[in-house]
Amino acid sequence: MASYYFTIIGTLDRPLYELEFASFKNPTAQGVPGKSQFSASVKEILPFIANSSLDVVEDAQWNSNQFHLGKIDAFFGLQVNGYITQGNIKFLLCYETPTNANLALHAKQDDTTLKQFFNEVNDLYVKCLLNPFYSVNDAITSPDFDLRVKLIVRKYL
Amino acid sequence: MKVYAIYILNKAGGLIYQNDINPGLNKLSANDYLVLAGTIHGVHAIASKLKPTEFEPSSKPFGGEKEIPIESSATFSSSISVRDSTINNDVVNGRWNNPNTNNTGLRSIETDLFNVYVFQSLTGIKFILITSPNPIVHNVASLNLKINKGELNRQFDLAKEIFHNIYVTYSDYVMKDPFYSLEMPIKNNLFDSKIRELAK
Amino acid sequence: MSRSGEEVWKNSTEKINSELFTLTYGSVVAQLCSDYNNNYNLVNKQLDSMGYNIGIRLIEEFLAKTGAARCHTMKETAEIILKVGFKMFLNITPQVDNWSLDNRQFSLILNENPLADFVELPSDAKDLWYSQILCGVLRGALHMVQLDVSVWFVKDVLKGDDITELKLKLNKILKDEVPAGED
Repeated sequence: MASYYFTIIGTLDRPLYELEFASFKNPTAQGVPGKSQFSASVKEILPFIANSSLDVVEDAQWNSNQFHLGKIDAFFGLQVNGYITQGNIKFLLCYETPTNANLALHAKQDDTTLKQFFNEVNDLYVKCLLNPFYSVNDAITSPDFDLRVKLIVRKYL
Repeated sequence: MKVYAIYILNKAGGLIYQNDINPGLNKLSANDYLVLAGTIHGVHAIASKLKPTEFEPSSKPFGGEKEIPIESSATFSSSISVRDSTINNDVVNGRWNNPNTNNTGLRSIETDLFNVYVFQSLTGIKFILITSPNPIVHNVASLNLKINKGELNRQFDLAKEIFHNIYVTYSDYVMKDPFYSLEMPIKNNLFDSKIRELAK
Repeated sequence: MSRSGEEVWKNSTEKINSELFTLTYGSVVAQLCSDYNNNYNLVNKQLDSMGYNIGIRLIEEFLAKTGAARCHTMKETAEIILKVGFKMFLNITPQVDNWSLDNRQFSLILNENPLADFVELPSDAKDLWYSQILCGVLRGALHMVQLDVSVWFVKDVLKGDDITELKLKLNKILKDEVPAGED
């Protein structure tokens, strides 16, 4: 039951949305399903890890013709996956390095599942952008958006 | 039938549009046109109050018209129609109707040299068509032909069709011009050219 | 039933991309909100008068293309508005309900509202009637056929209501303005 930290970063490098959660798959005895199990010290630095990988995203976007940039960074035992939208909004997903036991499983999961996850979040983001009362780089406060992201999380991670 | 000119009158009877689409009609002074428009508007309104007391509800538009000579061989028809309550059912059920609502006012003036047709929308805008005279009337006189009423009405029906097209064009090119203010003179080249296309 | 609205919609209504339409209306409303510093009552008023100006022009197209004649009862008016008017301009057919006893007031229930796709109201926008422009359009259009009406929203799904409902009330018939020569 891996823990994840997902954030959307605007074009001015400010976070627009963040969510901490854990996988609903392979529930273990400890912890509530869906509730992240980052230790307090890691929790603190999650936004920093995400932000520090922005430079890598900036570089990686020129080396790929895909929006999904794949695994772009690793720090402090945390992997960072990135996705960049047409509008230069970055989606970042940080998660713990999987244990050896399910490493193989995870590697396979990485590309296809994460790509689907990011694509669906992007669809949601576009819908959010279509709301006339939302402008680019505003914080996303819509409870509906939050709920739908959580549903996608449940579906893929 | 040749359409010489098209005039549009606002609700108050002011001339807001004038287009001599086909040559053949001599020009009047600018003031005369305004007077002509105002007069037709006034006669139309008064004519609508004029009705025979023995009026029978069964008479159809243009059926039992009365004729009042204005000048030599001019006819002046003002007829009363009973509003058919099925008209709007037709609209709901898919039949289009002609938007002309001029039922009891002055509809046409016919002379040897030209005909004038007056149409009105539900909102009170008047469209006036000046056309060549009805050829059948003259044939009847000279050749002593026997014709039925449908023939006589044919030119009116044609004019009504033209009115319908003008009204649609008006609603598209005048009403949707954001810089046009209602009731004011229409100065719109696009509308001019569309009207000219219609008359061909 | 509503073939005519359908016919006009199919054959003689210019189509535009509905998202473009929705987004255009959305940005107008959002811009008004920011211009009026989120004074939503003023925004409603402004939308209403914009709608009025559209209505007094749009009625000509409606009449020209359908040839609808004068209605003699409000029931007839309601029917024409719903089945022909809304159909030909927005390709929707709202429901009519809640007739008042004197038949001068009724509710229009919009099952779908093409103006409000994608929209989520800001949390402070309790007073905003997002689609108020429709009220203005109806008021303007009916005024041009000599019906003085009041139109207002009572429910909107954007605010969490179960339906979108607007009320239309006939104040009076402007008899003096009815053009001569009708009947």
